[in-house]
Formats: sequence, C-alpha cells, structure tokens
Amino acid sequence: MTISAEPRHGLGTRLAALAKVVELGQGRVDPELLDEATQLLLRAGNRLKLSPDHTVVALAGGTGSGKSSLFNSVSGLELSPTGVRRPTTARTHACVWGLEGAAPLLDWLQIQWRHRFARASALDKGESQLHGLILLDLPDHDSIRALTDNEADRLITAADLIVWVLDPQKYADAATHRRYVAELAGHDAVTVFVLNQADRLTPEEQAICVADLEDLLEREGVANPKVVATSATNGKGIDSLKAVLAESVSARRAGYLRLEADLDKLMLRVAKDMPDVLHVEPTVDGARRVGLTDALCDAVGAPAVGEAIENVYGVRSIDWVGWPYARWAGRLRPDPLKSLRLGDVKDDIRTLVGGSVRAQPAEVDNAVQALSDGLSQGMPEVWQDGIRDAARSRSGQLPKVLTDELGEIAPPLDRVPAWWWLAKIWQYLLVLLFVAGLGVTGAIIAYGGFKTGPPPTELLGDLDVLPWVLLMMVSVLGVGLLSAVASRNFVVLAAGTERDRLERDMRRRVSGVAQELVVEPVERELQRYNDYHEALNTAKY
Amino acid sequence: MNDQVDEGPGEQTASFRAIRPDDPPPDSTPEPVINSAAVTAAKAKVLPAQEGSAGRKSESAWAHLSVSSTPAEEPDPEPGAPSASESDAEPGAAESDKTPAESEFGESDEPRSYFTPPSRTKAPRDSASDSPPRDAFTPIARANSPKREPDSSIETASTKEDNSVSSPATHPPKAGSGPKSDGLTDRPDDLSDSADDATLDDIADQVADSADPEPFAADSPEPEKPESRSVGHFAASGSTDDTRWNIPRDAAGSPQASGTFTEPVREFTEPVHEEKLPTTVSAALTSALNQLREAVTGLHFGLDVPGADEARKAQAAVLTQLDDYVIPRVHMSTAPALIVVAGSTGAGKSTLVNTLAAQQVSATGVRRPTTGTPVLACHPDDRDWFVKGDLLAGLTRLDKPGEGAGVDSIVIAPTERLPQGVALLDTPDIDSVVEEHHQIAHRMLDAADLWVFVTTAARYADAPSWGLLRLAKERNARLVIILSRVPVKSRDVIVKHFVRMLDEYGLGEVERFVVNETAVTNGRLPDDQVTELRMWLAELSVDDQRRTQAIQMTLNGVLNSFRNRVPALARHLETQVALRADLRSDVDSAYMSALAEIDEATRNGSLLRGEVLARWQDFAGSGDLMRTLQLRRASKSGQHGPERLRALKGALHTGLESVITSAAQRAAEEVVTRWRQRAGAGDKLAAIPGLGRPTEEAVRRTARMVTSWQDHVTELIRTEGVTKRSVAKLVSFDVQSLSLIFTVGLLGYGTTDVSVGSGNSALPQRLLRGLLGAESLRSISAKARSDLRARIGLLFDDETLRYVDALDSAGIPDEAAATRLYQATYNLEVAR
Repeated sequence: MTISAEPRHGLGTRLAALAKVVELGQGRVDPELLDEATQLLLRAGNRLKLSPDHTVVALAGGTGSGKSSLFNSVSGLELSPTGVRRPTTARTHACVWGLEGAAPLLDWLQIQWRHRFARASALDKGESQLHGLILLDLPDHDSIRALTDNEADRLITAADLIVWVLDPQKYADAATHRRYVAELAGHDAVTVFVLNQADRLTPEEQAICVADLEDLLEREGVANPKVVATSATNGKGIDSLKAVLAESVSARRAGYLRLEADLDKLMLRVAKDMPDVLHVEPTVDGARRVGLTDALCDAVGAPAVGEAIENVYGVRSIDWVGWPYARWAGRLRPDPLKSLRLGDVKDDIRTLVGGSVRAQPAEVDNAVQALSDGLSQGMPEVWQDGIRDAARSRSGQLPKVLTDELGEIAPPLDRVPAWWWLAKIWQYLLVLLFVAGLGVTGAIIAYGGFKTGPPPTELLGDLDVLPWVLLMMVSVLGVGLLSAVASRNFVVLAAGTERDRLERDMRRRVSGVAQELVVEPVERELQRYNDYHEALNTAKY
Repeated sequence: MNDQVDEGPGEQTASFRAIRPDDPPPDSTPEPVINSAAVTAAKAKVLPAQEGSAGRKSESAWAHLSVSSTPAEEPDPEPGAPSASESDAEPGAAESDKTPAESEFGESDEPRSYFTPPSRTKAPRDSASDSPPRDAFTPIARANSPKREPDSSIETASTKEDNSVSSPATHPPKAGSGPKSDGLTDRPDDLSDSADDATLDDIADQVADSADPEPFAADSPEPEKPESRSVGHFAASGSTDDTRWNIPRDAAGSPQASGTFTEPVREFTEPVHEEKLPTTVSAALTSALNQLREAVTGLHFGLDVPGADEARKAQAAVLTQLDDYVIPRVHMSTAPALIVVAGSTGAGKSTLVNTLAAQQVSATGVRRPTTGTPVLACHPDDRDWFVKGDLLAGLTRLDKPGEGAGVDSIVIAPTERLPQGVALLDTPDIDSVVEEHHQIAHRMLDAADLWVFVTTAARYADAPSWGLLRLAKERNARLVIILSRVPVKSRDVIVKHFVRMLDEYGLGEVERFVVNETAVTNGRLPDDQVTELRMWLAELSVDDQRRTQAIQMTLNGVLNSFRNRVPALARHLETQVALRADLRSDVDSAYMSALAEIDEATRNGSLLRGEVLARWQDFAGSGDLMRTLQLRRASKSGQHGPERLRALKGALHTGLESVITSAAQRAAEEVVTRWRQRAGAGDKLAAIPGLGRPTEEAVRRTARMVTSWQDHVTELIRTEGVTKRSVAKLVSFDVQSLSLIFTVGLLGYGTTDVSVGSGNSALPQRLLRGLLGAESLRSISAKARSDLRARIGLLFDDETLRYVDALDSAGIPDEAAATRLYQATYNLEVAR
C-alpha cells in the first residue's frame, strides 16, 4: 500500500492501522467485516495510487430520474442515450474533463472504452473549473435489471463524490434510501442530492419537495444535506450543480474524504463490541503468577508430598535409627492384621509409598482456567475465549511436565539415607555391647560368685568388677536410647529441611513451567489484544 | 331513457335467476353474453375517440379493443384510421377483422383458471385447421358462438366465453407490433380522423359536461352496438345493459331510477346469490377456515433461525388475511367487490381514486409518500356494508383522514359517483422509505377482490413493482394494471415496451389501462382520462356474474395460496422444532459426556494423583492406616493424627470437586461451541453471556455436594458396613478413617462392583474386604457410586436448566402444531 503525500498522512496512518486491525483481528472479528476492511484497504490503496488530480463523480439514482439527461446537460453533449423506456442505461458512461492520467483510473473503474468521452479541451466554454472531473452516468439501482447487475453498487462504492439524482416522483423510494442513503449517512461531505425534473413542479411545490427531502435526509442521519433542484430539460439548476461539482473538483479532496468516510463507517462497526478504553496489562502480574504457581503446586501435590516426607520418614526411621529394644517390644504385641489374614498389607503399603506422585489433570485445568478468567475480565467475549485458548494452548503437556519436575526433585518416600545405616549399625553395636556386657556379667557371677571353675582371666573372676560392668551395660542402653532419640530428631530435622527444600524447588520449577507453558502464550495474547485495541483506536479517529 | 333504466335491472335480475343451472330456459342463455359484449362494445367505442390512434396503436388488451372496433366502424364514418392500420400491417388488419367477434365475449373477464383445460385447448386445435394458429381461434369462436349459444347450456356458453377471452389476450401484443411503428407519424391524422368518428361526438359531449358523464356513457354505446356486434339480435338486450351500468350515476339525480338500481343491491343479500356456496359447504368451509385460523394463531416461531422473520410475517399475513378477507368473504361471496389500488409512491393512486370518485377522498400532493392511511371510496349504499361488515374488521373506521389515523385505521368515503357493488381502496405505497406503508398496502391487497396495480412511465421497470406483480401472479389474484402518468408524446414506445415486459413475465393477458400524464387539478385528473376505467368499473358493478367470478377467482387464488403458504409455515415450524431438539440434544450430550468423563476419571485412577495420592501415601505410610484398625482391647488410644485424616479427606474433597468442576467447564464450553455451529438461532443463543462457563452457583454447589456425598459414604459404612463377626471380635475400626479408605478405593483405584471380587485387587479393597466381607463391600460400593452419580446428575441437570431456559425464552414451539397445520390445510381442501 502506498500512501502518498503529506496532507494524507492522517488517512495513511489510519489505513495502516486498519491493516493491522485486519491482521490481528483474524479469528476475533466477524470475517465479513474483515473482508470488507480488506476490500476497503485495497480500494483505498488503488484510489490513492491513481490520479489524485481527478475527482470521480457518480450520478446515481433510480430508473427514470434523469441521470443520463443530467449527465448530458452537465457535459453539454449528447453522450449518454436518454429515453422513455425503463430502464434506459445499462452500462456506465464516463465523461472526463482533462484527460491526462485519467486512463488508469477509468481502467480501475472498469469503464468500457466505448463509453468513455472526453471534453476535448478543459478550457473550452470556460469550464476550466471542472478540470479534473470524471463524471459517471451510472445504471439505475432499482429496476428489475439491477437485481442481477451490481454495476451501480460497485461504482457507488468506488466513486469519490456521489450525486444522487432524485425526482419528484421517486425521491422517497426505499430502494434509494434504505439501501444507500441511510447506509452512507456519514458521507455528507461527498454526497450531493439533486432533485431533478424540477420543471414538473410549480415553484411552491418545488419548495415543499425540497424541504420534505431535506427533512427525510436529516431523519436518516445525513447532516446538512446538499439538495440542488435541477431540470435537465430546461437547464435550470444545472449551473448550481456545476458549481457544486467545481468546488469539489478544485479542492481535490473528494477522494480523500470519501475514503475517510468509508473508514469511519467501517470502524464504527468493527469497534462495536470493543470497549473504548480497556488496555489490559500486557504482563501477568505477580499475584496472579503466585496464584497460578500455588494452584499448580497443589495440583501436583507438592505441599502434601512435603508433609508426607516428614511424616513417613519419621515413621520409617524408627525401623532404622530407633531403639531396637522398643521395636522388639512392639513386635510382641498381637498384630490385628494377622488375625484378619490380610496377607502382606505392609508390602502393599511399601509399594504404595514407593510410587511417585503425578499431577492431577483436572486441577491443572482448573488452575489454568482460573488464571485466564481473572485476566480476561472486562474484555469482549471473543477475546476472553482467545485468552482462554492461549492459556490452554499447551496445557495438554502440563500435567506430564509437572510430574516429571516433581519426580526429579522429590526423594522417594522409601529412600534410606546412608546415615540411617550407620545409626543402625551403631545401635546394633550397642546391642552387641550390651549382650557382651550380659555375657561378662554372667561370667563374673559364674566364676566369681559360684566358683564354677577357674576364670579364664583374672578379671572375670573378680566380683568387684561387676558393678562397673553393670554400669557399662546401663550406659550402653542409655547411649542406645539417647542416640535413638537424637537420630529421630535428626531424621525429623532432615525431613523438615527436605520438605522445605522440596517445596522451594518445586515452586521454582513449577513457576518456570507455568511461565513457559501458560504465562507466555497468555501474555502474547494479551499483547495482541493491546495491539489490536491500539490499532483500532488509531484507525477509528 | 328512464324506461330503459327501469327495464334494465329487471331484466338483469331475470337473467341472473335464469343462470341457475336448475332453470335453463334457452332464451335466457344469451343474456350473460350480451351483457359483456355490449359493455365491451361501449368501451371499444370510447377508447379510440379518446386517445386517438395512440390507443389503437398500443396493442394489447386495451389496444385490441380499439382496433377491433375500427374495422367494424369503417363503413360508415371514418376511412382514415382503418386504412392506415391496414396498409401498415396486413396480419394486424386481418386480426382486427376478427376481433369484433372476440370482443363479443372478450370482455367477460372470466378467470381462466376457473375452467377445465380441455375446453381451453379445444379452441386452438379447432382453429388450426383454417388459419394461422395465433389468430385462428377468433373466427372459430365467432363461427361457433351463434350456433352453440342457443343449444348449449349456460356452462358451455360461459366456457366459450372464457376461451375467447384467453385467446385474444395472448396475441394482441404481437398483432399490434405491426402498426405500432407508424403510430407516431400517423397520430395527428388519426386524431383528426377520430374526431370525425361518431364516437368522438360522444366524447365531445362527455368533455362538454364532464361534471356529468352519464350522457356520453349512455349514448356512446348505442351507435356502437350494432357495429361491433356482428350478432345483431343481441342489440336490443345489449342496450338495456348499457343503461344498467349507467344507473348508479343516474341515481343521484333521478328518484325514479333510484328505485330500480337498488334492486340488484337487494339481490346481493338474497340467498339466490348465496347459493354459490351451499350452506353445507359453507359450514364445512367455515369450520375448516376456523380450524386453519386456530392452527395458524397457535404458531410460535421463537428461534431466530434463518427465515424465522419471514415465517413470522407470513404467519401474520395469513392470519390477517383470514380475518380481514377470507372468512368474511366466504360468508358473503357476492357482497361489494373491494378493488384495491396499489402501487409505487407517486404513481398517482390517490389521484386516480379521486378522479374516479369525482371528489377529493384521498389527499394528493408532491410529498412522497403521500397516502399513509388507506381510503375506501364506495357508493353510499355500500357504505354500511364496509363500515359494519367483517371485511377488514380489524381496522378502525374513520370518516376522514386525520390525526387519529394510525396503522390500523381505514377511511371510508362514500361517493355517489362510484357504481354500486364495487369499492375502490386507495392504499399507501409499496416502495417508499416508510416501511409501515408497505405493510398496510400488503394487508389491503390481501383483502382485495381485485388488484389494481398502478405504475408510471418512470417506474414500470422498478423492482418493487415487479415484486408486487409476481405476488399477484402467485396468488392468481384478479389483476388489472394501470400505466399512469404516460407522457403523450412517447406513449407508444412506453406502452409497447411495458407490454413486452409483461409478456415476458407471463402477464401479457392481464387487463390494462393507460392514463396520460396530464395536469392534475384539485387532486383529480381530467375525467376523460379515466373514461375507460370508469366504464370498466361500471361493467363490474352491473355484471353480477362477472363480478362474482372475479371475486371467486381471487378468493380461490387466496385459498389456493394457502396450499403453499400454510405448509410452508408448517415446514418452518418443523425446522424450528428440529433445531430446538438439536440444540437441546447438544446440551444433553455435552453434559452426558461430562458425566462419562467424571465416571472415567473416578475409575481409571486419575483421581488418585497429585495431592490425593500424596495424602494417601502420607496416611498409609505414616502408619495411620494400620492404626485405623485396632484391637478391641486397645481401642482407647485414638489420638492418632487427626490432621492427616482431615488432610486426606480434604484432598479427596478437592480432587473430586475439581474433577467435577473441570468436567462442568468443558461441558459448558462444549455446549456453546456446538450451538455456535448451529445456523441462525444457535449462535445468537450462544452469545448470551455466561453460558460458556459453569455458574458460580454450580461451583458452590459442587463443594457442598461433595461434602454431603462424603458424609453419605460415612453413613453407609456406619450403617451397612457391619463388620464380619469373626473380625468384630478382634478389631474395631474408626468409621471416619474407614470411609476415607473406602473412598480412596472406590474413586482412586476404580473399585467397581465387578472387580471387588477379583483376587488381585488393591490395598484398600483388600483391607475393606477383609473387614466387611466382599458382599457388603460390593453393595456399599454400588450404592456409593450410584449416589455420587445421582448427585452429579442432579447438579448437571440444574446446569442444563439455564440452557433450556435460554431456549425456552425464545418460546417453546408446539410440535403438534405442524401436524395441525397440515391437517387444517387438508381439511380446507376437502371443504372446498
């Protein structure tokens, strides 16, 4: 698209913005509207490229209103055949004042060669003020022929200035007003109304007619309608029409104004559902990120895993670092499971606990949904859907990724730390010591007390050693107990640390995953929305 | 003159009675023929005089009259015009020789559709033998008609009439195209020639005292009759006919006449004429119509399917037409004919009606659109009928257009100048910016017995005009076309072109009139412009049979149109019902699949993930699971981690809730997605905000529902989970914990009623089976699951309610209504 020259800057910017609207609006705006916008862009591009010195004026109107007569009157030549049969004109005729550069424009307008006429010199008959005028005599738009022919429609869309040729009989026809005039209500600057065949009315009647027509047009939203009463038969009013045309032609702005009006009208429709001022924050704010991370952590069960680590380690460590005597004593108690003959429930539990935790897909969905709901508040529905779809775009892989992340950092619940072995060995050593102490005590009592035989060593026969040995055994028990308690505390402490670390790591990783899989697509969509909104506002005003 | 006047109606009455099939005296048979022929002659006479050769040259229905009369006149007054036409085109002249014969019957205007095809096709076949087919049937008709008339029954006579009407009507355009080209140059001569014509004297008379047109009307046919009617012996009776149509106008002035002209009016109300619809038939028809009316009234097109607007309009139109027209008309088939003048804005409808009524009954002006309230002009004696009658009963009667006039009013203006038995209704336009006008105009047309379509030289190619013509054609309504505001200098070109267009459209045989563009004074045209029309009206007024036939034709057309229009409504209703069912099933299937999704999630173990699994591991791994089961003796030590129990319960609650919420969310989206794909109504309904997500209420209720289900499970375990006796001796258990274990087993491991029994089952089942026994576990499982399903179902039902509400807000179409419509249409056909 080429946008030329300084004075068109406003329109150029707006058209560029419209192009952006079209690009960003795909799938968000009614395709028909986008289509229209594309058409407008195309038309604007072509029109701005083609001779800016010419003004295309279309004489439009119903059949029998005298378009061709008026065309001939203005051009001063019998160029377009007139007649009493309806409809008369089937092909558009064009008359050009000032030929240079007009040909490509006429090509673009698809005017057939044989229907193109030129005023030989722009200066003849002192019509220099019309230099640059391309006058089109359109076919009608309301006869039965027009039902199958859109030539009038096409050129009404393409012309820079439209002159509606009405007559006393047909000036209030729905075919003209509903389909065109009311539709083009914003095009005041580039629309002129001609009440032709004024010779059929008395001056009083003409005044009534013109007033009535003006009323009607104002009711339809045409601000300050320009109504010129003419008569192609007796030439009255033709000069006023020429003056109106000359004014528009010399200003060379009709094409520009026309496109502007088209753009205004289109933008009103495009922007219909868009709030005037709603710039969304293009980034997902901290609170929402935290919310999402929390929800995803919950979905993967990270806090629960942390707690489970603490509890399960605490319980399991008893088997390893606990005081063996207490354990042995516990085994002596009757086991209800045995009486139920449930078999290896403990193995089951071990298997269960050994399993890794996976993310709960439903909760992941809900977390993502909550985020997009919160973000898209106040946006038009179609954009809300867009945000939601963006948020979900990769949520299919989210549960799996979360599960993997958790699996990487969460220790299995049935893990056995090395120091548990040491503690266990230590405890058993202590047990051995205690057993040895028992042995020594027994030996001392046997040899020293009952003199069953000569003691293998001096020491075993010496009863005086006994208290020391007993003392040592008590100490061994005490040490065992103490180290069990200490180990247990260490286990709890370590599990607590583990849990904290897990939760911290998990949060970090989950937020990373969320950033990549959820937040980024959402932010792209938010940015798109903002860009669209901005382009829309630029194109609108 | 007055003698004739007295005589005329009396004779007419006699002829009418004679028409009844049960009473066929041979001498009375020709009379209907005479009526029409005589009037035709009168008309044929006036036309050339009035319009010069322009009228003659413009072929077609109006043209052939003038052409036909010319050769007959040829001998006595005027050599110019016939010679011109003969020299231009031999075939044309040849035809015009024959046309007088046609015109005997030609103007009887009986609807073609009335008669059986055989009789119609017969004439051309006969004619093929002696002359070119197009022209052929006219001589035949002439040759045959005198012979047949005496010995054939009335029915055949009228059939013949019909033949002859249809045949000339098809060919005139072509016949006329020959002389046409010369029409422009010849015109001045013709005009002056025709000034010599005997008929012109009448015109001169008429123009002289245009205030009182009766002299010309009374006079003009008289010199004409013997000429145009080749069958001379009808002449006497013909003259009585002439006076007859002239009576109403006479009535104002002559008290003598008033006695006579009221006679036919009385007759309208007499059962003699009602006999067209025997009472039994009428009763059946009435009930069929009422049934149809009810069926149509009961329709409701709530959904904005494509075409719904049209259907609603069609429904309103059918209903209005039944009320305004069909039902009253069936009851009073021979009451005054309502002639509705319709057409474009600025076509001169009001001017025309004013002119015919000879007073300013309807406002005229340069403002467009001019007329907003329909104005009915009728003879004062018909006024009561229209004021009190059922025809257009829904409209408020006004005496004059004014402030009170709205969409539902009609002005009734009595005027002496209109003949009795016909009423002219001036309507708003069909194509201006004021759209209510189009509706009013169409409503009036729906109630019309005859359609008079007015268009102008500038407008005759307008699309809306042709839309109206198409409608008339579809309805098979009795149609008359008036081409108005025709500039005199280009009259031929325009008329020819228009006629060609009409021909191409298949309306070539419709009766037509041309009105020139002339100065309008006081909202009226010069009276000479409408002479022809006035005469046509007079004919219609006088000729009861013809009017009745015209009325019947339109009525039949309307009743026929119900054959298509009513089933079309029914079809649309069926579309609506089907669409509604589709939309409804979209909702149902979306929520059904959501239910299935939940079912699946609670069976395949996907619920036992995330927090639920972690809590379960915690619960089991930390020994709480084992502690749940306690030896009876040691049952006191129940202070084991209640927080873990609560956490597991909470996790299960959250997990189940989120599964349900997520399914509900997807279902809501699914519904909206599916609805958007449904054309028309669906996407509009889908656009109702909030339908794309579960309601807030549903989210809250899900939470409550899950809680109460959990309580229910606990209760089940408590009441039904009777511990096996062998176990009970040894072990007691905590109901809360056990119900949690049960829930985990049920939802997390997919315990089904079936798999409980299998050996290799998961931990909770084994535990529970051990405690409760397989039988008990199975029954509790089944109960708990079905209870959950029922609760979710209930929740989803309430969710679907808002979609159903959205659907219902558009109205619930009655599914039986379509059947009723078909039935009513069928009944109507039977009753006819």
